[in-house]
Amino acid sequence: MAGFSSALQLTDLNDFITPSQECIKPVKIDRTAGKVGKIRIEDDGTYYNVSDTGVETKLQKAQITLNDCLACSGCITSAESVLITQQSQDELYRVLQENMAHIANNESFKLVVVSVSPQALASLAAKYSLSMADANRKLVGFFKKLGVHHVFDTTFSRNFSLLESCREFVRRYKESEVNKKVLPMLASACPGWICYAEKTHGSYILPYISTVKSPQQIMGSLDYFARCMGATPDNIYHVTVMPCFDKKLEASRSDFYNDVYSTRDVDCVITSGEVDLMLAKENISLADVEDGTLDTLFGADAMVGHTGGGSGGYLEHIARYAAGQILGTELQKLNFKSLRNQDFQEVTIEADGKPTLKMALAYGFRNIQNIVQKIKRNKCPYHFVEIMACPSGCTNGGGQIRLAEGESTLKDRLADVTGLYNSVPVQSPWSVESVTSLYEEWLGGVDSEKCRQMLHTQYHEVEKMTNALTIKW
Amino acid sequence: MATLSALCTLEGHQDQVWCVAWNPAGTLLASCGSDKTIRIWAEEGSQWVCKSVLTEGHQRTIRTVAWSPCGNYLASASFDATIGIWSRKEGEFECIATLEGHENEVKAVAWASSGNLLATCSRDKSVWIWEVTEDEEFECASVLSAHTQDVKSCTWHPNRDVLASCSYDNTIKLFKEEIDDWSCYATLESHDSTVWKVCFDSEGHRLASVSDDKTVKIWQEYLPGNQEGIPTVGNEGTWKCVCTLSGYHDRTIFDIDWSQVNGRLVTGCGDDGIRIFSEEVGSDKNAPSFSMSASVRKAHEQDVNSVAWNPKVSSLLASCSDDGLVKLWRFKDGE
Repeated sequence: MAGFSSALQLTDLNDFITPSQECIKPVKIDRTAGKVGKIRIEDDGTYYNVSDTGVETKLQKAQITLNDCLACSGCITSAESVLITQQSQDELYRVLQENMAHIANNESFKLVVVSVSPQALASLAAKYSLSMADANRKLVGFFKKLGVHHVFDTTFSRNFSLLESCREFVRRYKESEVNKKVLPMLASACPGWICYAEKTHGSYILPYISTVKSPQQIMGSLDYFARCMGATPDNIYHVTVMPCFDKKLEASRSDFYNDVYSTRDVDCVITSGEVDLMLAKENISLADVEDGTLDTLFGADAMVGHTGGGSGGYLEHIARYAAGQILGTELQKLNFKSLRNQDFQEVTIEADGKPTLKMALAYGFRNIQNIVQKIKRNKCPYHFVEIMACPSGCTNGGGQIRLAEGESTLKDRLADVTGLYNSVPVQSPWSVESVTSLYEEWLGGVDSEKCRQMLHTQYHEVEKMTNALTIKW
Repeated sequence: MATLSALCTLEGHQDQVWCVAWNPAGTLLASCGSDKTIRIWAEEGSQWVCKSVLTEGHQRTIRTVAWSPCGNYLASASFDATIGIWSRKEGEFECIATLEGHENEVKAVAWASSGNLLATCSRDKSVWIWEVTEDEEFECASVLSAHTQDVKSCTWHPNRDVLASCSYDNTIKLFKEEIDDWSCYATLESHDSTVWKVCFDSEGHRLASVSDDKTVKIWQEYLPGNQEGIPTVGNEGTWKCVCTLSGYHDRTIFDIDWSQVNGRLVTGCGDDGIRIFSEEVGSDKNAPSFSMSASVRKAHEQDVNSVAWNPKVSSLLASCSDDGLVKLWRFKDGE
């Protein structure tokens, strides 16, 4: 099984079927009215409807798309096989080759954009013993040589995720005086967690999940970029490089489909591990790739990151902002206290005469369980929880490069990746000029309707299917 | 010649009975089944009677019940995907917690000897470890996805925090706590089909398992530095299958229990029989011989789902079956 997070793997039942074999998802097929005649099966497996008068019409095959799979509470492994073919390095190669051919023939072509997450970059840097800046330049060089036009860092779009999360938290905190269902706010950046929550916990947990889009999907919403390039979203092929397989599921959500241009906000997600396979296919080490020129459209000419750990720093940013806005105090250092295990830590924020704020990091499936059950029993003491499906968070994502035979231990590799991730100088999202100006120019100001459209999303409860026939003693 | 004779039949369940379990003092027997109830049986005078019926804890079949080592709690695993925790105070049972998290049917539940840990396993292929906090809260300490199929049963080591589980994937797996989480440290492969049950002997150096392949297997633990020269990894022992009992059972063997008192094994089988096995005197530790001491071929009208030795009275054992009955048996040694 591919490296989906354990939360997602657990939602898979006894299912090892492929969609063509045994999928139970009902598919709507438009039928033409009239009497049904005979159905004949040809040698090649196509079906023909033969009417009374002998007229033959070829019947349409029922096709299950990834979206059908995701909307179904059945299997995830069926989704997986569809997914692997729709989003993979092979698909990226195919698109790039097709595109090169178009360019060579002077035909219209797509603008290929790759957005790289810093966690994925850290995995590549660790494998090839490079600094983050070097790995970045070389990865840009590698992609551009393959025909990619622009390469960006998703740290840029994460600025928006963080700012919106901070604002949403304070908004919810104020609303919690009249509505208990708004706190704790649960982080929304991890698609494994979102998928698990939708499939397993549905309506009682979804209202607590922050509506802010993940950095990947905000990057996908940046039609500002298309405008600058004089292109429309359907003329852009947007690829992201992620530490995580679950991100492929996120990109295929119908919420992230642009109806106006009939295109996905993110067309293809590949993991750092898959980028490594691309390097292997080209038979080159990342260390030997020629540096590429960084794209500076969003004003960043050197790598920057965010404080607060390998999963994006949501808790840290929200804690600092909330301390200022709600408690009227400035936080120095956040004191994390490990609870049951390293992946469950809490922070208490106190100010004289003000109510205490409590926040927690809960990584990995077991800790998600305890948070969810506490919420269900009304015993959750936290105001915000940074939930991530993977133990140790995103630097340890399921899509990161696997250890080769004879390489260091998993623990050492993770320490390297996390160290590299943290080696990048940090900036506050509140002081990034290009972000501030995009709020004005592109979004029409903070808290505007366009902000809601571009930076927020929604969740859907997946109804559980119970089928008595599947019981096994 | 040793004999096994019926002592009494306990009627009350309305449907298949899935599991029987003695409390640690050996004074109470709990049974559960498809009728979604748990029944508590006790001896009154010379008669065994039903003392309580616990209803409304579960919405579907209750597959397994297990007593805590202190005897004050009873845990029930149900096909409704939850685990019920019942507290016994002054003879009355009250459901104090319902553990949720498993994706579907929970097949078994087991308390660690310390009483602070609970293990559950499910058709969702996972094994969960729960920690019991001081205020009777149960928190998930680990979710283990080592098995590739339905996990049928799980059992704790009698004196170490080591858990054994067995599965439809034909394997037995052993788990222990590492620095920050639990993990599988050994996979025991030898059965050709579903392993339905594993149990430890009183010392914990041996395991017995039963399977759909109609065999009973005995596994021996070889600790680091063992005289036999069996290689080990780290601080953990290596488990080797040292004995396979085949030819005795005609169908799937569903349950096995190793008496903590008399050291004998009892099996419950899909051929409706109950069989007692004893290790032969002077048998080699590394290649032990077990022989059948007694058996009742038609112990029940239908499949025998569960068998359990009384933990105090070495001659007493309980069984239950698809025929809806719980039975008590007297084992008499021939010597």
